Amino acid sequence: MLLFSLSLAASAQQKTVTGTVTTATGMPLPGVSVVVKGTTTGTQTDFDGNYSISVESGQTLAFTYVGFKKSEITVGAQNQINATLEEDTEALDEVVVVGYGVQRKRDLTASISQVKGEDISNLVTPSFDQQLAGRAAGVQVTTQSGIIGETPRFRIRGIASITSGTYPLFVVDGVPIYTGDVGGYASTNALGDINPADIESIEILKDGSATAIYGSRAANGVVLITTKKGKEGRIATNYNLTTGLARPVNKFDLLGAADFVTISNEKRSNRGQSDWAAGTDFNTDWQDLVLNDNAFQQDHNLSFTGGTEFLKYYLSIGYTEQESIAKPNEFKRFTYRANLEQKIQDWVSVGVNVGLTQSEYFGLNTGTNSLSGNIFNATRQHPNVSPYDSNDPTGYNLDDTFPDRMGRGSNLETVGDNIPNIIFAIENNQYFSKINRLIGNVYADIKPVSSVNFRTQVSLDKANTNGFLFWSPIHGDGNGSNGRVQSNNNELTRWNWQNILSYNETFADAHNVSLTAVSEYQKERNQSFFATGTDLSNEFFGKALISGSYGVQGSGGGLTENGFISFAGRFNYNYKQRYYLQGTLRRDGLSSLPTTTRWGTFPGASFGWTVSNEEFLKNNDVVSDLKIRGSYGKVGNVSIGNYPYLGLYSPARYADNNGIAYSQFGNNNLRWETSIKYDAGLDLGLFQNRFTLTADYFINKTEDLILQVETPQSFGIPGNNYNANIGNIENSGLEFSATARLLDKEFKWEVSGNISFVDNEVITLVNGADRIGTNTIVREGEPINSIYGIRYYGTNPQNGNPVYYKADGTLVQGLLPGGSYAIFDPNNPSDVSQSSSLSAADDRVILGQSLPKYFGGFNSNMNYKNFDLGFLFRFSGGNKIFNATRRDLLNQNFTNNSTEILGRWQSVDNPGDGWTPRLYASTNTTTNLTALATSRFLEDGDFIKLDNITLGYTFPSEVVEKIGLSRFRLYLQGQNLWIITDYSGLDPEMESAGVDLNGTPRSSIFSFGLNVGF
Amino acid sequence: MNMKYKLKSISIAIGLLLVLAGCNDDNVLNLEPYNDISENAAFSTADLVALSVTGMYNGAQRGDYNGQGRGYPFGAAFVQQGDNRGEDVVNVATFYQLTYTGTYDPTTANNVFYWSDTYRMINRTNIVIEGVARALENGILTPEVAQIYTGEAKFLRAAGHLELLFHFARPYNDTPDASHLGVPYRDFAINSTETLAAAEAQGRNTVAECYQRIIQDLNDAEAALPAVGERADVRQGITRATKEAAIAFKTRAYLHMRNWPLVIQEGVKLNSRFNLTDSPNGPFASGYGNTESIFSIENSAVNNPGVNAALASQYNRRGLVVISPIIWRNPAWLSDDLRRGEGTLVTTRSGVKYTNKYKDPVNYTDPSPVIRYAEVLLNMAEAYARTNATGNALTALNRVRNRSLADPATQAYVAADFATPAALVNAIITERRIEFVMEGRRWPDIHRLQKDDLAPIAGIPQKVANGTPPADSYTLGTAYNGPYGVNAIPYTDFKFLWPIPQQEINNNPTLAAQQNPGW
Repeated sequence: MLLFSLSLAASAQQKTVTGTVTTATGMPLPGVSVVVKGTTTGTQTDFDGNYSISVESGQTLAFTYVGFKKSEITVGAQNQINATLEEDTEALDEVVVVGYGVQRKRDLTASISQVKGEDISNLVTPSFDQQLAGRAAGVQVTTQSGIIGETPRFRIRGIASITSGTYPLFVVDGVPIYTGDVGGYASTNALGDINPADIESIEILKDGSATAIYGSRAANGVVLITTKKGKEGRIATNYNLTTGLARPVNKFDLLGAADFVTISNEKRSNRGQSDWAAGTDFNTDWQDLVLNDNAFQQDHNLSFTGGTEFLKYYLSIGYTEQESIAKPNEFKRFTYRANLEQKIQDWVSVGVNVGLTQSEYFGLNTGTNSLSGNIFNATRQHPNVSPYDSNDPTGYNLDDTFPDRMGRGSNLETVGDNIPNIIFAIENNQYFSKINRLIGNVYADIKPVSSVNFRTQVSLDKANTNGFLFWSPIHGDGNGSNGRVQSNNNELTRWNWQNILSYNETFADAHNVSLTAVSEYQKERNQSFFATGTDLSNEFFGKALISGSYGVQGSGGGLTENGFISFAGRFNYNYKQRYYLQGTLRRDGLSSLPTTTRWGTFPGASFGWTVSNEEFLKNNDVVSDLKIRGSYGKVGNVSIGNYPYLGLYSPARYADNNGIAYSQFGNNNLRWETSIKYDAGLDLGLFQNRFTLTADYFINKTEDLILQVETPQSFGIPGNNYNANIGNIENSGLEFSATARLLDKEFKWEVSGNISFVDNEVITLVNGADRIGTNTIVREGEPINSIYGIRYYGTNPQNGNPVYYKADGTLVQGLLPGGSYAIFDPNNPSDVSQSSSLSAADDRVILGQSLPKYFGGFNSNMNYKNFDLGFLFRFSGGNKIFNATRRDLLNQNFTNNSTEILGRWQSVDNPGDGWTPRLYASTNTTTNLTALATSRFLEDGDFIKLDNITLGYTFPSEVVEKIGLSRFRLYLQGQNLWIITDYSGLDPEMESAGVDLNGTPRSSIFSFGLNVGF
Repeated sequence: MNMKYKLKSISIAIGLLLVLAGCNDDNVLNLEPYNDISENAAFSTADLVALSVTGMYNGAQRGDYNGQGRGYPFGAAFVQQGDNRGEDVVNVATFYQLTYTGTYDPTTANNVFYWSDTYRMINRTNIVIEGVARALENGILTPEVAQIYTGEAKFLRAAGHLELLFHFARPYNDTPDASHLGVPYRDFAINSTETLAAAEAQGRNTVAECYQRIIQDLNDAEAALPAVGERADVRQGITRATKEAAIAFKTRAYLHMRNWPLVIQEGVKLNSRFNLTDSPNGPFASGYGNTESIFSIENSAVNNPGVNAALASQYNRRGLVVISPIIWRNPAWLSDDLRRGEGTLVTTRSGVKYTNKYKDPVNYTDPSPVIRYAEVLLNMAEAYARTNATGNALTALNRVRNRSLADPATQAYVAADFATPAALVNAIITERRIEFVMEGRRWPDIHRLQKDDLAPIAGIPQKVANGTPPADSYTLGTAYNGPYGVNAIPYTDFKFLWPIPQQEINNNPTLAAQQNPGW
């Protein structure tokens, strides 16, 4: 074959052409792609713009470079061809992906934030969504723990629903994909299946005008992901490597053995009981045992991109392996991507974008209230005992009398709450999920005339997840059932067919018109089954479900479907790029709603006035860009379950007897939950856009909220609720983002920042009734999930009792051993005789709002010679956090405590910190008021974080060219390194609905990487 | 390339795709669930009706505790709550601490789910009663079958309301005519917007009304249900409602109503229809096949209240609740009584006494003992004693006690042991504490004996401190006299009753106005 090619080459009249490619101003252009048209032969210009290529006379050379117009020169007799490329101002116009199409950024009248793939592709991250935090105004992404696989919270412009979904729609190359946990026994994040290195750009659609084209699915905003596509030109090969180590960002300050013994016995002696703890032979740091200070990370990506006039391709493979800072949590991912487009005729091309991923997650029990939950357990363990015991047949320290509990060592009783040895669970039990994921589409683009384009695209998202769980019969969670093996399969299939007809024309050089018409059909079918075995014959059978190896077998599963059909249109008009108008209309039919109300209409509109294109501002030295925008849109929420309106009966077995029972109260009047979104915005560019500012004011009103209307428990309605359209919630706010090119000579420095202020208010609820949770409340006129509990006064200096405020402002003290209250008189603190009460119903008040009032980020990128330095700070604040972990760490049972407990009241002369009550064994309910939130553990959630910092060095191209490379960059990177906060917990981002409870610490990562181009 | 050709290609492409996808309302939008049956179909065949009848028992067995089944009300919770409200057990960990130490409030899970899940079961019974009536009308069921189903529903409905009265209402004798507030006696299905409104209009019935309805339902059930022997097998004779179960429940209900003659009248109906097992361990060693269990809730290895509720998990394997030294050292409980039998009914770990009544700590298949014949005998004994039929009282008491005595010939009670009727009644009450320890029966006794003329209990007695009691506190020989760690709650204290849950108060204005005073 090789010989044959050579002979062919020899037979043609090959010659070598050399030349220089320059800009119009004569500057040499390195890296220009020089291709012999119609072939795959090509090269690139060197650092001085020179190239050399073998070509035949009569062939055409095509010169292409990003940001410049393509130049084509036919080879004649000459042996030297110099080319001059002109800057392409059109191409320099940034393009933004909008729903079902693209628009030039300067034509945009909707509110859309863009994040470039390159900004996040080198960061160590299990999923790209985590890295959007701080990068776009109005977008709030919170990674709540260090567990890989847990889906970060993603909010766009506040919280648009109370009981329906609040997660945005994610669309990859036009495919609306599954998000959230897709099954198995280890937590999984469906967005982890997308290789961040394959992402070209991420667009976040925020306002009504941008999202209305997604109609019923857009209430929580839309995130569009565009993967990298092939470009005409010589093949470019890139290899990226990142490797590093992660460690917990912070750990709890727990008592050492000596303090532990003192505190434990003081709890008992204050109660007149005998000692609990004895001995300080060990000083075990249980957090160190369950966490990993050197969690290994590696990430490899290899991509090939290029193309000819006819076929363009982007191919990539990726491999990621990330150990979590929580043992034995780990993540491994293989990704493959092929994006191809073939031009068949001048007017028709077909293409395929397909990503194949295999993600494996190794998980653990992280239950915040589970006896074997990693943090719940480790923070309670006694520091004066060893985790291992060579005399125990298992090698682990298990109690001799109660082998299902942690060994007591030299202590006089076993650990409180009978918790097991967590090291056994971590080293023996298994939680596993493996996702095989295909996200892809096949499309055809037909362009019968230059102004019309028709695209039809068939897409598929198929996620097949297998899970496996093993609990050892010897100890821990599996001890009770004599072991457990469990396996499951979750198959999610969603197909989607879109037809998009678009029309673009300019009339009289002034009237620019475009029309887009869309029809879309989508259906998903989600099927799952599981099998369990308990009462294992032996722990040996713990690697899979082995037939005949267990005494009790169980199985189950289910099947659901969901579909929708929609028709949408968009109309855009602008006059000389000064006056813009956009209208969208979408009509959606959804299977989740009753036949009579299933079709909804979702309109959107926006206008824009580009003042800077008016004659009076044209060529202004200062103002280079000024645009005023306004928009309106109405969108819906489809995250309402599959059959929320039907009255249903579900399987309900009595022991082993089959049965069914009432499971859902029907409501045939259920209709769309809709959000109405208003936005007013301003885009400003100064000094040739050296400084830019974008400001937006928005209001999102969600109406006809589908709320689970609570029914009184004495009605016996399933779940004590049914679905109805009752309630309104409103989010409003201001967003600013700005960029500045501070220096752009040899030393380049660009900074950008954004800040958002979001207000959330619950407008109406069912009958105006509060929705009260354990620690939070949803109340009309207040932000959603405000922290709701009892105000704390401090300790009684006379006796160390905890003192609280009743709702009327009077003070009561909790009396030990508990259950009763007496009036507290600061002038007569020793009086405990006047009985009083503290009531969950009457004495709780709103303690603070759980939603941050403001958040944002500040990004900087510097380049000097071959060095680059970039960093991102993020901040957030204005919210309160109920630190329930802190309360847990002051446990009055026989468990370890945080050092905060050293501030306890000990005597009138030694009253401690005035905040921590007298110790009293086994009185959590009174001493720590465990049933309710209290302001004793309420803290500010404000923080500033150094999210990441990268220092890179790019070797000069003349050096790397000598070894056949086009690019070679090395970098050092740190993520999550530094935080400024007054919050006393591990990290103020570790809250869920305002409550921090026993989460696994987030991680800091140091890494090293290289980018190589061939 | 001419335009015609282009258009032709496009239309062919579109046409092909339309055929290919076949997208239309029918297969994309008109979707019916696969996992659930529509309410319109639920009572449309005899088989489906039978499934709904079993579904009521599911409601009794599992309950819904934030999506899990935790044995509310009859699968486990009535035992655990009934025990932990009293003084004859000690809660050693956190699990039942709020109940045990009386630190509950209207949001505490234990009392909230007791209320919620009992009414959930009750609504299922009402749905069955109405659904069966419709099915009968439509000729789907025979009258014979319909009658049995309705009887089962009424039995469970009565049992559920009775259980609620124990915890949420003052005892029958709180007012002379029991005109104080009971609980809403729900007797219609709540499954539509119209019935929601009707339910909201209904306030708490008086205690007298509730008991009258309970007796009515139990009378109907007795008439409608098959006898034990008519059930398919011995197991179903115990785990499904029977004529005898309805009668036994009436003895319990009348005892709480203090209607002693009717306790006896119902009790004698069961004479010779049940027998105590030879050993006190019998009803537990063979829970699904013995002569003594009248009604128990069935549990199986794959369907039970689970690791966080099943009796064998909580009381046996995890040892979260232990027998209290208070009852263990009660002098009336003889040291050689078989109910102290190590390995049969009790296990000792580090000197602490755990019950061994629930014997399957791996698969949790033990039934939950709702009512057994020993209770009927002791109910009758008490009724006889209170009506001065001392001889009959003694006979019934001794039937229960003697089987557990090491030497009945010398240890059995004789009339001379009791100088007064009060002494006899007190002995019967103590016998109940011993016989039913860790079967959840202590609280209903504490409840009904407030202000009693013969064997009064003052409020909720003081208890041993929450936590594992020291081993030496179990040393027999003297009555336990402290230390205590949980204070008594007087009868007049509002905490004597559980509050109506906050969820109910928030959502039901009618009951919000009728919260138990003090809460």
